[in-house]
Amino acid sequence: MSKAIEVNNLKKSFGELQAVQGVSFSAEAGEVLSLLGPNGAGKSTTISMLSGLLTPSEGDASIMGHSISREPLLAKAALGVVPQDIALYPDLSARENLDFWGKMYGLRGGALKIRVDEVLEIIGLSDRQKDKVSTFSGGMKRRVNIGAALLHKPKVIIMDEPTVGIDPQSRRHILENVKQLNAQGMTVLYTTHYMEEAAELSNHIAIMDMGKVIAYGTHDELIRMVGEQTRIEVTLNMEAEKVLSSWRSTEGVSKIDSLDGKVTALVDDSNRVLPRLFEAASKHGVRITSVDIQEPNLETVFLHLTGRALRD
Amino acid sequence: MKIFDIAFKDLIRSTRSLFLIGMAFAAPLLLTALIYFAFGSIASGDMSMADIKVGVVNADVLPANSPLDVSLGENIRSMFFDDSVRSWITASDYADEAAAHGAVDAQEIGVAVIIPATFTKDYLAGKTDTSITILQDPTLTIGPTVVRDMVASLLDGVAGGGITIKVVSERMTVNGKTLEPAGIPSLIQRYINWYTDFQRALFHSLENAALVVTSPAPGGELSNDIQAMMGLVMAGQLIFFSFYTGAYAMMSILQESEEGTLERMFTTPTDRTTILAGKFLAVFITVILQGAVLLIAGHYLFKINWGEPGSLALSLLGQMFASVGLAVLLVSFIKTSKQAGPVFGGGLTMLGMLSGLFTANMNIDIFNTMGNFTPQGWVLKAWRLSLAGQPVSELIVPFVVLFAMGIVMFVIGARMFGKRFA
Ligand SMILES: Nc1ncnc2c1ncn2[C@@H]1O[C@H](COP(=O)(O)OP(=O)(O)O)[C@@H](O)[C@H]1O
Ligand SMILES: [Mg+2]
Repeated sequence: MSKAIEVNNLKKSFGELQAVQGVSFSAEAGEVLSLLGPNGAGKSTTISMLSGLLTPSEGDASIMGHSISREPLLAKAALGVVPQDIALYPDLSARENLDFWGKMYGLRGGALKIRVDEVLEIIGLSDRQKDKVSTFSGGMKRRVNIGAALLHKPKVIIMDEPTVGIDPQSRRHILENVKQLNAQGMTVLYTTHYMEEAAELSNHIAIMDMGKVIAYGTHDELIRMVGEQTRIEVTLNMEAEKVLSSWRSTEGVSKIDSLDGKVTALVDDSNRVLPRLFEAASKHGVRITSVDIQEPNLETVFLHLTGRALRD
Repeated sequence: MKIFDIAFKDLIRSTRSLFLIGMAFAAPLLLTALIYFAFGSIASGDMSMADIKVGVVNADVLPANSPLDVSLGENIRSMFFDDSVRSWITASDYADEAAAHGAVDAQEIGVAVIIPATFTKDYLAGKTDTSITILQDPTLTIGPTVVRDMVASLLDGVAGGGITIKVVSERMTVNGKTLEPAGIPSLIQRYINWYTDFQRALFHSLENAALVVTSPAPGGELSNDIQAMMGLVMAGQLIFFSFYTGAYAMMSILQESEEGTLERMFTTPTDRTTILAGKFLAVFITVILQGAVLLIAGHYLFKINWGEPGSLALSLLGQMFASVGLAVLLVSFIKTSKQAGPVFGGGLTMLGMLSGLFTANMNIDIFNTMGNFTPQGWVLKAWRLSLAGQPVSELIVPFVVLFAMGIVMFVIGARMFGKRFA
């Protein structure tokens, strides 16, 4: 059985600009794969090729085993696409919108009616189905926008930055939606430039930058891959060189720096190391007055790989 | 199947667009109705206007170093003394306002037009408080209205002249030339001459003046002449708004592209050809429905006999092909829906005017000649023949021309769309 999504050396140029420069990745059926990268990394361009909006300059991809170039209609039939911006008819009602998009996916008659009812239920808008979309709040529009991609029960769903520019509550709602859909067996390709979202949702993460996938793996794999360690910052109630030298020889500590009464330790695992640091401090009669733990995250990984921050 | 789904969705959206409904159905019917009632009042004869007595006080003097040869006041005055209006206007000069006022009070004249001494000077200087006074016998209604509108119409034309000069100079700048200041007066004068002649042609008969005036009044039985003319008047409206409706309906493709729904359609398992075809089909249906509704309304509301069924059908079909073809071509040139207003408003109005749509009942030579080169002109030819009761065989040539024009424009436009959205 082939993968749910398979991307093979995809390239896309816009004139001189090589927006996507040979991207490859794959997603197992039933997983959430995130494309994480800053604005302009080439995420949308990659997704546009997968969903049949743009023709690749080179390379191929397949959705549920159907090549996007050789069997585009089959590939599209297996795919639901949630565009970043709301793409609905404001002058049609929620139900009319879903009806139309259902027809575009080949549903008709009784089957269409039943499925529209189901989707209205899923997105929680059954009671507002007859109202025009133009009368909806931003969050409700987003739900219809997602609903329109679910009508044909796609095996794979692609969401392009679905949480950009919305309030925290709606964002929460959408993230929960993604988890639910995935729990029902849908494969999700999710693009974002928010590392928290990628961390929370994904089984695997592909980090993109400047048209390339620069790292791929699970969240933990990615963090281990770059060898970043947990950073612990402590303040002491007095200068104590003896404590520092004792800490330097503690197991699990790779580096201790001290600057202006602030001590920074790089450690493997803060849960194991932190008690030992406290122990050594009390042995020398020194008090730790504050502790700040910074676990490595995808932000650190990106910084490590590119020398730049993920967010500008 | 999906072609019809897409077209049906577009039609539903159209029925929810007040603007489209207004433009497709309400505007042509209302405009025709206004003209109909204007004629109705003339034809019913209960308001004799055969002789409108106009008194003119023209104190206007041509300012020194003016770009004009003749003062505006003289232009206005001469309109009432012109041979072309002699059959229904009797004009006489009065020395001053008091004299004219007395004549109105004594009911020697029905209306007095008083042009102040500095009128040309102020008007050219763009002063908004300069004005022509019109005194009228309070017992009369239509006569003074006609006179007032003749004056307004002429002045609008002069204002239009200013705009023309601006447009000409902008165009020349675009083309890398500048408008010599010395050339401006002659341009203005040429424009005013042309416009005055145009107005005279309009006012040649009372019916034509009323056409411009369109004062609503109770209707009555129409004479056969006027009824035949109503057919042409409404045909002009029908054609103009058919092209406008087609272009506007075609705009939905740009709107969808801007709203993201076109792209979303492209992500569904639907051929791009099917999607474009669905959009085009919606425009075909809109235009043919609009035509049918207006023909039926014209028949029942205004007693218009559109012609033999076959001739009528060929005219309507020809109109549809040409409207849709031009719509596809026009919209394929437009980048965003914001550009649509000026392009449609300017382009279609200009084409319509040159094709004689607004003067359909007057058979003006120059427009007939121009009409040979425009789709609108050929649609008007078709309707003229059909309205004159010509058999189908006479309609074949215009129909074939329209069909060919439509196909050519459609193919060029559709290919441009294909390229843009592929
Ligand atoms: N249609 C296009 N024409 C030209 N350049 C484009 C086009 N679409 C995207 N780009 C460029 O390609 C690069 C990648 O863009 P995009 O895929 O939208 O990035 P992301 O979605 O990761 O923010 C950017 O530099 C962008 O400006
Ligand atoms: Mg993007």
